[in-house]
Amino acid sequence: MIGSEIVTGLTIGAGYSLLAVGVVLVYTSTRVLSLALGEMGAFGFYLGVKFNLHGVPLLGWHLSAFEAGITAILVGALLGLLVERFIMRPLTARPGIDKLIVTLGVALVLALVELNFISFDPYPAPPFLGSGHFVLLGATLTTSRIAELVAAAAAAVVLYLILNRTKLGLATRATTSDPTVARLLGVKVNNVYRFAWVTAGGLAGLAGALVSNTNGVLLPFSLTTALLSSLAGAVVGGLDSLGGAIAGCLLLGVVQNLAQPYGIAYESGITLVIVLVVLLVRPQGVFGRSSAF
Amino acid sequence: MPSEDAVGTATAPVVPGPGAGPARHRPRVELRSLPGLTAGVIALVVVLAAPALLPGFKLDYLETAISFAVAALSLNLLVGQTGQLSIAHAAFLGVGSVVAVELGSRGLAWPLVFLGAMLATAVAVAVVGVPSLRIRGLQVAIGTLVFQAFAIDLANSTGVLAATRSFNRPGYLQSSGHIYYLSLAVLALVAFLLRRTRTTRAGRSFVAVRDVEARAAAFGINAGRTKLLAYALSGALVGLGGALFAFQQNSLGSAVPFGLQPSLLLIAVVVVGGARSSAGIVIASFFIYALPSLAPSGLSKYIQVVFALFLILAVLFQPEGIGGVLKDLDRRLGDLVAGERERPNPRPMPTDPVEKAHSATALRQVPRPLAGRLPVPALLSARDVTVQYGGVQALQQLNLEVRRGEIVGLIGANGAGKSTFFNAVSGLAPVRGSIRYRDRELTTAPPASRSGAGLVRTFQDMGLVRADTVRENLLLSQGWLARYPAAAGILGLAGTLPTEKELRRRADMALDLFGLDHLAEERLGDLPYGTMRIVEIAAAVAAGPDMLLLDEASAGLTPEEANQLGYRFNALRDELSLTLVIIEHHVPLIARVCDYCYCLESGRLIAEGTPAEVVAEPDVIESFLGAGSLKPARGSA
Repeated sequence: MIGSEIVTGLTIGAGYSLLAVGVVLVYTSTRVLSLALGEMGAFGFYLGVKFNLHGVPLLGWHLSAFEAGITAILVGALLGLLVERFIMRPLTARPGIDKLIVTLGVALVLALVELNFISFDPYPAPPFLGSGHFVLLGATLTTSRIAELVAAAAAAVVLYLILNRTKLGLATRATTSDPTVARLLGVKVNNVYRFAWVTAGGLAGLAGALVSNTNGVLLPFSLTTALLSSLAGAVVGGLDSLGGAIAGCLLLGVVQNLAQPYGIAYESGITLVIVLVVLLVRPQGVFGRSSAF
Repeated sequence: MPSEDAVGTATAPVVPGPGAGPARHRPRVELRSLPGLTAGVIALVVVLAAPALLPGFKLDYLETAISFAVAALSLNLLVGQTGQLSIAHAAFLGVGSVVAVELGSRGLAWPLVFLGAMLATAVAVAVVGVPSLRIRGLQVAIGTLVFQAFAIDLANSTGVLAATRSFNRPGYLQSSGHIYYLSLAVLALVAFLLRRTRTTRAGRSFVAVRDVEARAAAFGINAGRTKLLAYALSGALVGLGGALFAFQQNSLGSAVPFGLQPSLLLIAVVVVGGARSSAGIVIASFFIYALPSLAPSGLSKYIQVVFALFLILAVLFQPEGIGGVLKDLDRRLGDLVAGERERPNPRPMPTDPVEKAHSATALRQVPRPLAGRLPVPALLSARDVTVQYGGVQALQQLNLEVRRGEIVGLIGANGAGKSTFFNAVSGLAPVRGSIRYRDRELTTAPPASRSGAGLVRTFQDMGLVRADTVRENLLLSQGWLARYPAAAGILGLAGTLPTEKELRRRADMALDLFGLDHLAEERLGDLPYGTMRIVEIAAAVAAGPDMLLLDEASAGLTPEEANQLGYRFNALRDELSLTLVIIEHHVPLIARVCDYCYCLESGRLIAEGTPAEVVAEPDVIESFLGAGSLKPARGSA
């Protein structure tokens, strides 16, 4: 019984960590805490679902549910590209609070467009990867939950390999440690920033499709609410540590799932307590290295 | 050690010299302020006449906008003034509303209900802000975001937002018009209190935490406590807004705007309105909260999206928001009716005091056979001081002392540990060993207590707030002298106003002494660099120090300015009886003013003695001046 609860919690945490991976990637390479990622992913899936239900404007194609998911990934990545180039790059020299606020602005604009110009009512989320379910250690898991787990694991492994085995990864790590020095050493810092935002945006799109599938519906801010748990997990594990953030998300997923029978307020309440305690006792997170911004 | 209530009782100026502050110009109504005044009067008339112009249900929208304007102003206390971000201010507004309805439905008198809501919300915001005690970064904002979700979940699962209870408004405050005027009064009160806050110790501390947090302790400011105060104060004000909202609605339905989207909109209001302008924020509130309801129905969704886009555009292109646009407009219109304003000419280096200092010290400009230590006890003594950062020993077993009335020089190559020593003395670096000041152990005293003990320092790269005026910076530096509780200061209670007046008098005296009086109202960041450095010394002197630690005061100055600085150092010592420790790279300056000199290399002391002795040491020549360089001629500047 407890085993199945824990497995379910882990899959919830895996969903969080899909977004958290993007948050950590953007944070380590650009020192920006991006609160836009959730809505960027949701926006992509909103478009995908719209094309699924009503067809692509002018062309009239109806996308399949799977293609809607792919649309989410592509649109998320495109938004990442645009946000980095036209919003974040001009703000490079500005204080952190300005950058944080502008990412909130992006989330707000996207959510309001979703609400006012795509669909006022909640969108049904078409099953992106089919609608089967599996039983694992006594826990019944839908396809989307399994996919969250697999996608999170795959994203973590691929990113780990990129960061540690490729030239781009070396450039990213150099930029993380000191952008000015990296620039002087010939690293194209802007490429690193673009890589971080595009990757995070694409992952956010994938998360948008999968998490909405798990929720069953797509609402403005529903992915920002999911992002909030990702951020909480990343804070617990360490905002500058990929593995730490994933571990934090998994932990949070399990804790939330165990608290769930007592009511939704207990779920978010215990999250709040954990975040406040970690911030107070170990601000850099359990696996984080520095607390400086 | 100066007494605790230094300002309350001390009337004799610390700075001898001009007895009274410089004469202040009494501002008259000028031609140039006419456009602004006219616009203000028209706006006031329209706002006051609104109940006569609008039908009741439309007035309700204005009232709601006022509640949210109060919430936005309180958020700006965090965002604009303190540099902290709350992504849960709509939820906090909800806390105030719920508490108000709970209290009101139990029959409490409405002013008490308002106070209760303020208190409860202040506690809630402060609890969420507690991590800011440990964190310098923006992670605290994540805590507020999690609170936002928790608050909504809690409200949904407990049903506190069900419309079963009501505020119980008193009979004499039922009509739409009355409620509107009450709302206006609350808004005016909040704007007034925020304005007052800026002129008190609390407000100055907020800005210092925002711009120079790591150095706030140098002004006697405890950064953690200051942030917590900002959270609590912002909480009290947003609680007031919440109570007002509950009062307007009388009972809360389930469709109340306390969710994530309203929280983000509040941030948008602050940014679009402009963090430096309450008027801008009120105007922005009207746009987003009242206009969509007053405009034709099809337009409201466009207004929302456009407003959110404005948030991004404002951060990118107009960081001072509507307030900045208004100020600009006011200036242009003023120029139009009154002609171009004559900008005060910032005399970069005022000459009078220099002349005076020159004549005072000219008598001592003879060759000084007395070079060497004075036979008086040490004011500051460091014993075996070690500072370690990770694997780096920034200071190793340093021993040095500074005696009363001396000017002691600290020289050494970059990275030698000179500034680290200042950090150790001012409590900004972890110290092993002992630093005694006036025979009291410093290492165990809190960093923020040192300026009060008479130890005041400057920073190599300016520790002041560039966004503030020169005078505000001089008030900030006297933080330890303003020993009144924050709330008393904001409310202007007995005792705080005379204290502030005294601080202003001291600030003006210090400015006068340094020939900066005509620059008092200039923004520090607008001044030439050399002038800024002098302002920094003036700010340090205004804090009433016994000992001044000046970190590379001559860096970035022209040779002529650096030369003048020498006279200033002598004047500070001879006329103000200060003891000086100066970090300097400018060897002629050291040779001219220092009584004694220490040379550091890689955290170790490699030489000490009179400047002439030290610069003659082979080790010093090699380390600091570069191997094989010539002995510098004395006083060659």
